[in-house]
Amino acid sequence: MEKVNKEIVAQLVAGDISRDESRTLLKMNPKDPERFWTYLEVLQERVNWDDKILLRISDHLYIVQKKETGERLVKCDCGHELGDFRANWKTSAHVRIRDTQEEINKVYYPPAAAPEPEWNEVREFFCPGCYAQIGVEIVPPGYPLLFEFRPDLDRFYREFLGKPLDDKRSDWYEDHTDKTTANWL
Amino acid sequence: MVTVNNQSQPSEVIELEKTVAYKIKRRDELTEKTGHYWGIKEFTLRDADPMKFERFYSRLQSSCMAAREISRFVAASPGGREMGEAVWGLVSAEGDSIALSEGFVAHSAAFPYAINFMIERGYEDNPGFNDADVYVADDGFSCGAPHPGDTYTYVPIVRDGEVIGWACAINHIMEVGAPQAGSWAMFAVDTFMDGFVCPPTRTGENLKQYAWWDEMWKRRTRAGTMNILDDKMRLAGCAMILKSIHEIIDEFGVDYYLRASKEVIEESRRVVKDNIRNWMIPGTYEQSAFRVCLYKGLQNIWEHADKDSLIHVYMRSSIDGDGRFHADMEGSSKWDYHAFNAFPGGHKVALMMGLAGALAYNTKFTSGGNYMIDSNLPEGSIYNPGTHVAAHSNGWAQMIMVTLQAFNTLTRAQFMRGYMEESFAVSGPWDSMQGEGVLEDGTPYGYTQFELLGACAQGAYAYRDGEPAVWFIASQLCNMGNSEEFEQLTPPLFHLGRKLQPGYCGYGKYRAGLGLSAVHWVVEPGQRLTASRAGSSCGIIPELSIGMMGGYPSPGATVAVAQGTNVQELFKEGISPTTLQEMVELVEDDTLKTESIKIWKSDAPQTHLKQDDLWAQMAGSGGGWGDPLERDPQAVVQDANSGSINIPFAEEMHGVVLNRVGDEKYELNEAKTVTKRKALRAERKAQSIPVKEWYQQHREQRVLKMNMMEPVVEMLRSATSFDAYKKHYFNFWHLPEDFEI
Repeated sequence: MEKVNKEIVAQLVAGDISRDESRTLLKMNPKDPERFWTYLEVLQERVNWDDKILLRISDHLYIVQKKETGERLVKCDCGHELGDFRANWKTSAHVRIRDTQEEINKVYYPPAAAPEPEWNEVREFFCPGCYAQIGVEIVPPGYPLLFEFRPDLDRFYREFLGKPLDDKRSDWYEDHTDKTTANWL
Repeated sequence: MVTVNNQSQPSEVIELEKTVAYKIKRRDELTEKTGHYWGIKEFTLRDADPMKFERFYSRLQSSCMAAREISRFVAASPGGREMGEAVWGLVSAEGDSIALSEGFVAHSAAFPYAINFMIERGYEDNPGFNDADVYVADDGFSCGAPHPGDTYTYVPIVRDGEVIGWACAINHIMEVGAPQAGSWAMFAVDTFMDGFVCPPTRTGENLKQYAWWDEMWKRRTRAGTMNILDDKMRLAGCAMILKSIHEIIDEFGVDYYLRASKEVIEESRRVVKDNIRNWMIPGTYEQSAFRVCLYKGLQNIWEHADKDSLIHVYMRSSIDGDGRFHADMEGSSKWDYHAFNAFPGGHKVALMMGLAGALAYNTKFTSGGNYMIDSNLPEGSIYNPGTHVAAHSNGWAQMIMVTLQAFNTLTRAQFMRGYMEESFAVSGPWDSMQGEGVLEDGTPYGYTQFELLGACAQGAYAYRDGEPAVWFIASQLCNMGNSEEFEQLTPPLFHLGRKLQPGYCGYGKYRAGLGLSAVHWVVEPGQRLTASRAGSSCGIIPELSIGMMGGYPSPGATVAVAQGTNVQELFKEGISPTTLQEMVELVEDDTLKTESIKIWKSDAPQTHLKQDDLWAQMAGSGGGWGDPLERDPQAVVQDANSGSINIPFAEEMHGVVLNRVGDEKYELNEAKTVTKRKALRAERKAQSIPVKEWYQQHREQRVLKMNMMEPVVEMLRSATSFDAYKKHYFNFWHLPEDFEI
């Protein structure tokens, strides 16, 4: 089974991979099973902190095992931490709301295709550390934050990758978002 | 494996084992008990002689391919022939696909629903299944069609009195005979306004349709001739498959056929299972989408349908340890008196449409993968109304969002596992024009124009921009149909233009391919011409709620109708709008004079069109990926110089300052770009607040007061009528138990 070398994966992550190389990857059958580990290696080298990356969940966001405490946190590549991975990371972000037609028309064109404010609001989520735009959701007012993905990390490492994590606990696959919002009342 | 020729059994038992009813029951028992399709743990035939096994399968598959490629040229409407929707398949007695042609293969997920329905309702005894009988259906309730108009043909393959399979076909016909003309009525109160809907019905025998069946098409639809052509097309392909399968069985033997077919399906099930485990990540993925249904004031007959609605399409998908994909739809809206309901078979088609091609591209395409994917569709919901009266004439319009949610689950997982080359912002906001008319000589007709159905843009990839007009989520065969031929069939409509609409895409670090726009000019409309819009996403709301990784979700589709225009005067000056936006701008600067212009970011209702009216469509864009402020400045320059973007967005969206160096020619101002990007980042800081503050304000000002428009409140009321979503909603906002929405 062919292994994709680290340089190619790095190019893929950086977005400067050639069309030919990306086409080669698309045509791989089967995909290289080592990719996940190569990916983590590439990603780990791109950040300036040394908490262990367990999973990349977005362009900028990672679930990491914090070196000092062993916590599993969501961390931006700038180094800012967005809380326990079991709570929706959006609860630790900053948000800008576009809820007028004028504001929405700044991100949709032409105006004839722009979403309308009574029906929707545009929620742009920023990392409070670097102000990268790390998420967008467009939902009606009154709608809960969408928790894009809550991984069953231990099952993933144990059953899908065959390399169990060494800090297994029974409560890792829980949703703590509501606990977070409860503290805000 | 079931032994059907066990000599120790009494003859009535042997006969029982040959029934379809028994086979379904036995398949379900063995599959449930062992986790393997029909209990197939070992591939005895494949492993004993792999070459024979592959030769056998290639014969089955090529018979389906040949059926498609030949029958489309025997008889077909332009829609049937040109669009990538038509599919032929060989299906087991129980309804599982063994081999399929290319095309809209996910339609095969509906086959078992029709077979089950026929068995449960006693068709096996009355009228019974004979070799070369012909059955047809297009009813979502009974046959799993996503919407009426998706018309299925089933031909039993019978050997020595035993049904050993079905030759099946499906295509989307040109007109379905609903009160609102076209293929997908957007206004229907109940199923009695869905058009010509039939449950599985024996419509012919010995590969010949009964005479009355043609008359049904003529009497109950507006495009009888076209629909009869498609009916013949489907049957011609099924006849080819029937003949081929009998020949293959003559060569290989019936026992080999029955066992090998099961091995084929089990083999592909295992590949799909491995793909899920190898490419995806266990956990819970949450996604939502919304679809407007604006019925308020449309009519004054059906009071119970006189309201505007916001339909909630909610999926909480999960991958378990066995590599099983589960789509929990609890929290999606309740069914209602509108055209956008669906039934479980249609939902399964929608789900598989997002997953089938992607998860099964490296195996034989069968129903095997369907066994790795299941759903929770609570009774009373929009996907399982629990009543046969629910209209579903345009169910597919909102179910595209189910497809996208399923596909996005996969593509998000692939990003996280490092297979970024596969990851893109999946989208597919299609649009279509449909209607009816009467020619000058009194000839009535109905039509559907599929031009902007099958050619959407790709959403942005995780590492590059998407391409325009190359993607049809339903099929491998992206195309616009033969648009020029449609023009001949709908005589009063002529293209003034069809091209990519600059700036019409989801933005991000990488942008989607541009969407398409077309402008139709009404010429000599005869005694009457009407048109309406059918489509998935509407411009009023983006197609999906979540953008990918900081990018913006795909914009929806829009229609603009200019009536009473002076367009012929403009032609003399060499002016002619070629996109919706151009048409709107010509009206705004008073060059194009009109009696009225309406922009429909929802479904344009059936509209009477006159000479020189213009109908413009804009659809088929995709979503962006990543932070738009991180877009390569040179890519922005390239966009500007190719006329691909709205120029102000370069600076305000991407922070890229352009120097204009010629007529529509730009260069990068590097220094000002650095400054502008810093300023936009600072603006983000100044204009945003911690989510905690937003939560407290939003809860107080909007949620507790239900301070939002009525359709939104009603959507929330509908979603929280299901226990799991009520718990989710109330717990997130920490609402008191007695809080009433």
